[in-house]
Amino acid sequence: MAGIELLSDQGYRLDGRKATELRKVQARLGVFAQADGSAYLEQGNTKVLAVVYGPHEMRGSRSRTLHDRAVINCQYSMATFSTAERKRRPHGDRKSTEMSLHLKQTFEAAVMTQLFPRSQIDIYVKILQSDGGNYSVCVNAATLAVIDAGIPMRDYVCACTVGFVDETPLADLCYAEESGGVSSLALALLPRGGQIALVQMDARLHQDHLEALIEAATTACKGVSKVLDEVVRQHLQEASVLTGE
Amino acid sequence: MIKTEKILHLKSYRGRRVRVVREHYLRERVPCFSSLCQAACANDGKVLPGDLTHYVVPGVEVVVNFLEILEFRELQGVIFTQTACQALQSKGRRCYSRLRNLVKDPRHDCVLFANEFQEHSYRPREKGESHEQWQTRCVYEAAVWYYNHLAGMMSIVMVTEDEDVVSRFSNLNSGVFVVTFKDYLQNFWPDLQAAHELYGSISQALQEKESEDTQKEFCEHLPTEVLAAGIKSGRYIQGILNVSKHRAQNEAFVANDDISNKNSDLIGGVLVYGVRNRNRAVHGDSVVLELLPRSEWRGKVTALTEGPVDERTGGDSESKPMPTGRVVGVLQRNWRDYVVTFPPREGTQSRNSQRILVIPWDRRIPKIRISTQQADVLQDHRVVVRIDSWESTSLYPSGHSVRVLGRAGELETEVQTILIENCIHVPPFSEAQLREMPSTSATKPWTVDPVQVSKRRDLRETHLVFSIDPRGCEDVDDTLSVRRLPGGSLLELGVHIADVTHFVSEGSLTDLEARSRATTYYLADRRYDMLPAVLSADLCSLLGGVDRYAMSVLWELDVQTMAVAKVWFGRTLIRSSYQLHYELAQALLNGEEAEVPELAQLASEERDGKLAELVEALETLTHVARHLRAQRDCGGALELEGVEVRAQLDEKRNITALVPRQPLEVHETVAECMIYANHWVARKIQEVFPYQALLRRHPPPRQELFGQLVDTAQARGFSIDTSTNKALADSLNRAVDPRDPLVNRLLRMMATQAMSQAVYFSTGSEPEDQFFHYGLALDRYTHFTSPIRRYADMVVHRLLTAALATEQGAEPVEAPAGNKEMEELAEHINNKNRAAQRAQNLSIGLFQCLFFKERDPETDPRCVAGAVIYSIRDNGVLVFVPEYGVKGPVYLKNKEGQVVSVGPDGTCEWQSGSVQRHSDHIRTTSACGSATFRLFDHITVRVSVLSSSCHSDTLNMEVISNKPHRSSSTPQQVSSQGRNQLVQEVVRLAEEAQKETRKPKLSREEREFRQSKTPNLYSLLEEIRELSLLDPETEPRPPEGTQVDT
Repeated sequence: MAGIELLSDQGYRLDGRKATELRKVQARLGVFAQADGSAYLEQGNTKVLAVVYGPHEMRGSRSRTLHDRAVINCQYSMATFSTAERKRRPHGDRKSTEMSLHLKQTFEAAVMTQLFPRSQIDIYVKILQSDGGNYSVCVNAATLAVIDAGIPMRDYVCACTVGFVDETPLADLCYAEESGGVSSLALALLPRGGQIALVQMDARLHQDHLEALIEAATTACKGVSKVLDEVVRQHLQEASVLTGE
Repeated sequence: MIKTEKILHLKSYRGRRVRVVREHYLRERVPCFSSLCQAACANDGKVLPGDLTHYVVPGVEVVVNFLEILEFRELQGVIFTQTACQALQSKGRRCYSRLRNLVKDPRHDCVLFANEFQEHSYRPREKGESHEQWQTRCVYEAAVWYYNHLAGMMSIVMVTEDEDVVSRFSNLNSGVFVVTFKDYLQNFWPDLQAAHELYGSISQALQEKESEDTQKEFCEHLPTEVLAAGIKSGRYIQGILNVSKHRAQNEAFVANDDISNKNSDLIGGVLVYGVRNRNRAVHGDSVVLELLPRSEWRGKVTALTEGPVDERTGGDSESKPMPTGRVVGVLQRNWRDYVVTFPPREGTQSRNSQRILVIPWDRRIPKIRISTQQADVLQDHRVVVRIDSWESTSLYPSGHSVRVLGRAGELETEVQTILIENCIHVPPFSEAQLREMPSTSATKPWTVDPVQVSKRRDLRETHLVFSIDPRGCEDVDDTLSVRRLPGGSLLELGVHIADVTHFVSEGSLTDLEARSRATTYYLADRRYDMLPAVLSADLCSLLGGVDRYAMSVLWELDVQTMAVAKVWFGRTLIRSSYQLHYELAQALLNGEEAEVPELAQLASEERDGKLAELVEALETLTHVARHLRAQRDCGGALELEGVEVRAQLDEKRNITALVPRQPLEVHETVAECMIYANHWVARKIQEVFPYQALLRRHPPPRQELFGQLVDTAQARGFSIDTSTNKALADSLNRAVDPRDPLVNRLLRMMATQAMSQAVYFSTGSEPEDQFFHYGLALDRYTHFTSPIRRYADMVVHRLLTAALATEQGAEPVEAPAGNKEMEELAEHINNKNRAAQRAQNLSIGLFQCLFFKERDPETDPRCVAGAVIYSIRDNGVLVFVPEYGVKGPVYLKNKEGQVVSVGPDGTCEWQSGSVQRHSDHIRTTSACGSATFRLFDHITVRVSVLSSSCHSDTLNMEVISNKPHRSSSTPQQVSSQGRNQLVQEVVRLAEEAQKETRKPKLSREEREFRQSKTPNLYSLLEEIRELSLLDPETEPRPPEGTQVDT
């Protein structure tokens, strides 16, 4: 197959990273005062805004109410200017519906929903700029937003996309790598217990390589969690200074 | 750790210009790969030595245009920059992979520096700066970085092609010099004449390219994206262009890569008719085709055409139309070095003496236009050229010359031509390689290392080890042992193979050389060894009476059932007691009186005892082998090829082979043990390394290829069942004409041709049901038993060693290569094996031609021989000459339209008339009556040489009588003698000719390349096997059996 060389003989990737290195992660918590929780996260050039409302009473149809836990409602959207070509992106298209569903499943596994019966938690994420690993970045941003909202979780949920090139797993794919014919896998992890919240993969891969790939994804997720943890602690420190505690 | 930076790219995608933002990470530490490094860079792999006068950093345009010169091993301390590397990548993947291989190859003193990822050497592109300027600046900054990084201890030279760059940068920094490539070569490498010539030739070709006129001769190729989309949608077809050897002007075929998803029409391949439809594609290129409308489809020509003059005449008949297409794009050029001949000076070319159209030796390659000043000197010389490009404005591709081989027609030139045409590169072993070898001499012989003795299982005292090989064999790589274990119910069979990998460690220079050669090359008069002679003929050769390291497989077999009770693999120390040859072993088995050289000195009593011991071992071995054979036969092992070879061996050894189907059993015995060892090793390594073991598979043949065989056999009333390998073997055994043993032989040859080729592969890249070996009827097979002359066996040895280490729980010293690497290696070895095969056939053809060239066909009785018809064509027949082992066409209708008419006494002459072709015979009608030629008819032909100045000579056969040749009743003896003499005689003549013409300088040089000049018996056997198996028209399909049993 024709294509660019994703991993050079010296072990460099297209953007100069090594196989296991993550993109640079930058994040801020509490970017909007109106919402209960919010976060902005950059992972390389993928930039995401996540906003959380809740837990609050059920809105809309009451029939969805669950009597033992909270309902999580996720909505994923991409800005028209998020890709190289401007494109109108109506709500509710197939791709974003699927993504919303994945996010919902991920957070149902992490948020302690049983503490808030008959209520609802809304998570909205918007991709401002897309450069690969959209799902994972959304998960990471949403985690921060949920934490900012003060909703109890079992653990951070950290996600990372990994790909498999030349028998080597590549961590945290960028767009050029994702579109370069790599079989990629997205994994969301609760890092402390090592539980997997979600694995998603729709490419072909020999089953013997799967273990190595998941191993690499786990390591990458743990790396992400370290960064997120630092961000949260930093934020907490700033907040406590401001409130004078 | 990492600092992030962003760069902006403007890229056009689907016609639109799009702004793409990409990240770009820079880092502090990028390895510099220099031994002078002060900063403790992580320099693993090869490093540039510190004792050079300078390092050279070639600029982008130098790398792109003059990579060939940078490939000279004499140039040391070359630093390729990532910037240049990327520029090369955009030029084509082939160029890029050449650079990659160059950097990987430890024999070349060059490294790749990732300058764009280094914090200090990276420069972002500035506004308004052209891409070329930016690249130059990047390379210059890399050079400066090196100078600073090495603390000024090494001067850096940046070479470029642009004078402006020289003036702009040369004074900015002391210690970093900027010079043009020409100056660089002249000042630093004044002695490297070859590089200067190459430089001149390339730059001339580049200038020519610029001044090209703009008249279009061909359609432009479509852009890659369009091609990719077209292939995906099924509109275009992708495949490798294969130009017809006989009608190179017009016919080319593209075999379809993936038959499964295409309609059934395309299974037979697609025809590309004419030069214009071929659209500048050259034989071997990977092309994209568009099918023409069905109305324009045509068939291929089935009539025999005569040699180089290839003009179509109106009345040629064609087969039924087949899919026809035209080339719309080339995905991957597959150009290699071509040998060309400068044409004799004629009026037509004198107008512009600098641009010459040269004629490639390979007929499938179009003429190449090159520019040179030396056209006069090089007349009638063979020269190596490379193609640079083929613009749509030019009828011919343009290229440049690389090196001169010598005058056409001389033996050395022709042999070198054969090697280069098959991409075989066999320089003499370098001193550095020989230094790696353990030393041994007559005064201070090599001895076993006590450390090794303690590590290895010592079989010197316990086992009776012996070898059975062809007479006079130097490189003994396999030995055998067999004994009864105490208790009586178990036998122990042992196969001991030379432990080559003990001496050749992975990644050493010798290993790399062996890897690039992949096999020992046997030509008609010489041999190019894969390993240096000190290994292949001495230390690794399991000679009699000396201690040697071995890799052994020992089975414990049940005496009655031959079921395997236990297998042991491992490294051993052996001392071969007897070095037997096949005849001797067979004589001992038959109970005949035979002189065993090893026992000649002993007293008679002792001798008898030892002899009895040896004979008993041989008998047991034979017994075991019979059982193993029977086991495989049940699975349907194909007897086919084995018989062929044995028949040939019989011939060779002048055993009056009245019944060619009764070979020496001992051959089969040895072969069977080797097959068994190979099989068990294959099982072992596949179990331990399920995805990266190197195995060998033989896919079942495609049924449609058996068409000719079945039809031909039908003509004699035999039916051939090709449904399974067993059915095929059985029906071939039945197809024996008692009056004419040649019938069966010819049928077997055709069957062999229909076979697909056995290939090496890595187990990770094929599904498990494809591992099967059709010919041997084994589920897994590999090559283990000849590490001296096959690289694949060395790989298998290493795999086995690693497997054993893994099993014992120890971490293997070095993890075996991954699946991808192994697959690449397998592909490489397969290619080299094919090349070796082709080179061997060509060299045999060459010697045949040289032999007949010396003789006058009209008078010399040796030019008249008996022949058998084995195929019928429109205007002639294909015949096989058993005496010389030659196959070829015989025309019954010549170009003037005359046909062969047969007189009452059987003599033939040309008369006007007509030819009718039928399925099993061809009839000529003329004024004198009509004559019929049937399949398997014996006729008499005269052999002469059709010489050609630009291509290889070919043998021409002409029918002179439709009666069998009078002496053809005893062809067997004649041929064996004739063959041997033939080679010797030609060598002698060539040497005489050289003496007369005061040895030209070139051929003396070539002579040094020769590594072993005398033809050994093995090569002769191999050669004879080839002769009778190969049809000059088709690709060689070597039989498996012979590759196994030696």
